Amino acid sequence: MTTKLNDSLPPLVLQALWQRSLFGIAAINNEGHVSAVNPIFERCTGLDQAAIMGLTEDDFNLALLATPVRECNRVDVGVEGLSALYYMRVRSSSSSQNTMAVKLSGIAEALREPLASIYGFTELLLTQDYDEETRIDLTSTLLDQIEIMSNLINEQLDVRTLNK
Amino acid sequence: MKNVLIVDDQASIRQIVRLILRKDFALAEAEDAVSALEQIKLLKPDAMVLDVMMPGEMDGYQLCEKIKQDPALADIYIVLLTACGQVADQEKGLALGANAYFVKPFSPVEVSRHLIHALQVK
Repeated sequence: MTTKLNDSLPPLVLQALWQRSLFGIAAINNEGHVSAVNPIFERCTGLDQAAIMGLTEDDFNLALLATPVRECNRVDVGVEGLSALYYMRVRSSSSSQNTMAVKLSGIAEALREPLASIYGFTELLLTQDYDEETRIDLTSTLLDQIEIMSNLINEQLDVRTLNK
Repeated sequence: MKNVLIVDDQASIRQIVRLILRKDFALAEAEDAVSALEQIKLLKPDAMVLDVMMPGEMDGYQLCEKIKQDPALADIYIVLLTACGQVADQEKGLALGANAYFVKPFSPVEVSRHLIHALQVK
């Protein structure tokens, strides 16, 4: 979609929009190259700013195709040194929150399995009479389950895993 | 002695349930819903301790529904044992005909007491 920005905005307003926008924004200069991207752009697209700067508009659009960007708009600006702005976002925040909620629910369920074994074996050891051999066997299984749980926590609750 | 079939893909959970129930019940075990169904037809257990999330063609909910819809098997007392802790999961299990629902982590002693009471053992 291409629209025309009718009136020029005061510089402070543009600066605030640039810095605090919820959208990733890329600026195209009069030569048709990417000349700037705002702080949210890298988070929004996963693209490295250094790799994007200086790309032609066509190459920039190609690069966007490989990103999770769902919604991208182009605005003709026509002010000094700037011909257009692209603004984009990956997904709505509610969708993102839902994805995280589903992920956390799955992790909670995965953690409940070894936790159930840990709880169960501990309760059996505390409340039932077993011979020494059985007690050692149950304690060993208990330790195995603690290790499984520890590995799950390390794998599933890593920030990088959560953000995938 | 009443028969209880333990169905869970996790060997450690089957072991815990087996250890707590073995004094009071005759036990059989299955590690997935399909093999459980075969055993049910052979053994006609009085009760089942049934996991919800299991790999394979059928999960615990589906097996529970199948049993409760079969007039020959509907009397089997089903205790769902599951890692699904949401209220909606519990409501779904009970709506499908399960008689009781324990969320993991669970107390084996409580499960045992529940079954002893429900099956009027002792």
